[in-house]
Amino acid sequence: MKKLYLFILFINGTASMYAQLDSIQHLTEVMLIDAKLEDYSEGFELIQLSDTLIARNSVSLTEVLNFNTTIYFKENGYGMVSSPSFRGTNASQTAVIWNGIPINSNLNGQTDFNIIAPSSFNTIIIRSGGGSTQYGSGAVGGSIHLNNTIDFQKKQSSDLRLSYGSFSTINGVFKSRFSSDKKYIDLGIDFISSENDYKYIDLNQKNENGNFDKLNVAANAGLKFRKSTLSWNSNYFSGTRKFSGTITSPSKDSYKDITTRNLVTWNKTYNKWKNTIKGAHTFERYRYYPQPENQLYFEGQSTTYLGDYQLEYEINKDLKISSIINYTYIKSKGTNIGVNDRNTLAAIFLWKHHLNEKLSYGINLRQEFLTDFENPFLASFDVNYTINEYYSLKANGSKNYRTPTFNDLYWNSGGNENLNPETSYQVEISNQFVWNQFQLNITGFYISSEDLIKWQPGVDGLFTPVNISKTENNGIEVNGNFSKSFNKHELNLVFNYSYTAAKDLEKNKQLIYVPYHKVTGAFNYYYKKFSAYYQLLFNGEVFTTTDNYGILDRYSVSNLGFEYLIQEKLFPIKIGIKFNNIFNTYYENVAYRPMPNRNIQTFINLKF
Amino acid sequence: MNLLKKIAYLVTFTFLVASCSQDDEGVPLPLGAYENGFLITNEGPFQNGSGTVSFVSDDYLFVENEIFNQVNSSDLGNIVQSMGFNDDQAFIVVNNSNKIEVVNRYTFESIASITEGLNNPRYFVSSGSNGYVTNWGDPFDDTDDFVAVIDLSTHTVTSIIPVAFGPEKLIMANNDLYVAHKGGYGQNNILSVIDVSANILESTIEVGDVPNSMVVSNNDIWVLCGGNPEFTGNETNGKLVKVATSENAVVQVFDFLPTNHPKSLSIDGASLIYNLNGEVFSKEVTSTSLPTSSIIAGSFYAMTINDGKLYATDAGDFASNGTLKIFDLSTNSEIITIATGIIPGGVYFNN
Repeated sequence: MKKLYLFILFINGTASMYAQLDSIQHLTEVMLIDAKLEDYSEGFELIQLSDTLIARNSVSLTEVLNFNTTIYFKENGYGMVSSPSFRGTNASQTAVIWNGIPINSNLNGQTDFNIIAPSSFNTIIIRSGGGSTQYGSGAVGGSIHLNNTIDFQKKQSSDLRLSYGSFSTINGVFKSRFSSDKKYIDLGIDFISSENDYKYIDLNQKNENGNFDKLNVAANAGLKFRKSTLSWNSNYFSGTRKFSGTITSPSKDSYKDITTRNLVTWNKTYNKWKNTIKGAHTFERYRYYPQPENQLYFEGQSTTYLGDYQLEYEINKDLKISSIINYTYIKSKGTNIGVNDRNTLAAIFLWKHHLNEKLSYGINLRQEFLTDFENPFLASFDVNYTINEYYSLKANGSKNYRTPTFNDLYWNSGGNENLNPETSYQVEISNQFVWNQFQLNITGFYISSEDLIKWQPGVDGLFTPVNISKTENNGIEVNGNFSKSFNKHELNLVFNYSYTAAKDLEKNKQLIYVPYHKVTGAFNYYYKKFSAYYQLLFNGEVFTTTDNYGILDRYSVSNLGFEYLIQEKLFPIKIGIKFNNIFNTYYENVAYRPMPNRNIQTFINLKF
Repeated sequence: MNLLKKIAYLVTFTFLVASCSQDDEGVPLPLGAYENGFLITNEGPFQNGSGTVSFVSDDYLFVENEIFNQVNSSDLGNIVQSMGFNDDQAFIVVNNSNKIEVVNRYTFESIASITEGLNNPRYFVSSGSNGYVTNWGDPFDDTDDFVAVIDLSTHTVTSIIPVAFGPEKLIMANNDLYVAHKGGYGQNNILSVIDVSANILESTIEVGDVPNSMVVSNNDIWVLCGGNPEFTGNETNGKLVKVATSENAVVQVFDFLPTNHPKSLSIDGASLIYNLNGEVFSKEVTSTSLPTSSIIAGSFYAMTINDGKLYATDAGDFASNGTLKIFDLSTNSEIITIATGIIPGGVYFNN
């Protein structure tokens, strides 16, 4: 029992912490809600973050991804609105996919990574490269997949994690699951509250008006029949955040967000045919309170109904094809956007072929109908070539798009109903080297985007969006992973480096808030019941003005954590402490918004 | 290059100070490094940043940006809206930071910060021993707008005069203070008249919708009203309105075409100059109709006239440094283009 637990701990804790998906063994009984992600992305780089890793940055999805991937985040003050830049693309060109369903806001096209509770998912997968053929609008730089898994094995467990730290930050996560060989149900509750009133280092100021409270409730259930399965995934989020001021201006405004998501999936297999029917409902609403004392607010909300039918046919063990019909209806309304809706019908064709043991390729096609825009035809091609046991190669090319948001189209004042989707072309080549416990990936990418939507002032000074910008991004990503064990010691070293040149072709300047260099690193050490880890984040300098005149300095931040398993039989108890920003570095992620000084988080984790 | 110029300038300046002090009386002492030139307020990035003030010498050869920061080693604050003057003091209105930085207009050395009693301050004028500052308060609230009265000797807000929604620019004429109510985040259409001897609201005058700029000519105030923009769903045309201060009443109105929204009224002798649809027009004060042909092409963020020259700013994409173009109004030709800070919103003259 002890050995098994330690084994699981190590597997979760080290080897697969940043697993390339190829190396993950799936239990046959595990049901992936979004199976096509892995089935039809062989020539794409997929990186999975384990739940151990997620727990170490459990405060927000921003932190999880910021410290473990090359995705750059622009966070408007700690815990505030946070938007990603994946390979130098903008926030609305990074798709977030929840169990196969796109969840970027229909209002502004983005996901705020500080209103996603990372611990409510079993896995987080980062898929680099264009994914619009499979995932639709916005999967340009890459996509982030938040997945729940349902497995039909007899098991009952609960997990409670309580955390307390600096700035009166309280975090509680409760997860419970009950499953048999025919049924599965889980429930997860995640609550976080923080005063977030950290001191600005070397300034006689602190972070005013920055407190937040967030609640996330997730439930997943599944039923297994003889030849079919039925599942339900559900997520509810509610958050209240004040918006912190800057060094030069006070603030008193606040924001309330609510999102709900429900997905029902039914799978049925007949010999070589597999049918999947999905129905989903998602809802998002924000309320912005510029002056909270008078309760006046501005609101935007959007409801999406989605129906999806996938028919998959396995021609032989090496060749699989799939066709998908996806219908989406979106209705949005708000203080500034009136009431508007949109229908989208998409036909998707997926093809995967293993030519031989070493070579496989895939083709994805997508044609849209019904939309009010020029209906795009999208395609992607990917190939995976294993040259020898040490070296393999992945390559892909794709055409991707992003549709204008409801804000772009209908915002009063300025919205432009004549906008067209942004178009983007991308190619990448990824080299993977594996040698014993050492793994190295080197990827080069190129993205060319046109008709980018930009809000710019017209003759009368009124800002209005236009399909005008062109950008060209290219760069290199290096990802390394090294593990070593001796006696009872386990060592694991991970690093990521990215170089990103993202140019506005109109001005011939680097895009604002895209660093040329980003580095993340982690050093993990395990000895018996004890583990320690060190996290490093380096962001190179970024430009804050489009003429590259304003510059925000580079910075590096280090965290250090220790965990100890007190009791491992029957009711395992783990305790831990984490020191964030151990060198007490002053840094700004967005100009004039200092980030937290040195701070501490402690936790206790009970399993029963 | 800038630094070299600055050093050269300072050396010259030091030399002047030295030589002047040895000279006979009668030759005035230089007042400061920024005496012979003009100042540009740059609002700065809308979020997350600080506005700045730039200085340009009269011969345009010496340009220095961020002069407040250079002299005082601190940032001005978020959204440098405007500047007003009283003798040798400049009052820099910092909108989002809810404050006014008081500096010597010639040296830019900080004198005081007025941080109490202001709420969303916009523009400043002085009269006698008081300064007056328009404040929007909560821009979504129509009832909390006011004009703050500042004691110029103590640099404190001593009282407030509640006024109607959205007070913006203000101007002294015929011993009264006239406040144009452009209207916060919404629209308004009046002038408030304030008696500065008692600091009370005397009357209001209905002009056109969205009065955005004013100039004084003899005993008249010319008010340029932009009209309600299209997105309000209640679009109205712009108007040029003449208010006689003797009777505090509208005496003449010129209507623009229905979808025309003029802005940035300035005066050059007897010519009223404004910006409309990407062109600059000039109308004689006495002419009986609006001009149909323009004098200069360009859509500008702000326009000011001084000594026969038009100073017109361009904020570009509002996310990078802007420019200032100077035109000679006798020939309507451009003299020079000068790089400014982010969103140049006002030009002010030190001599």
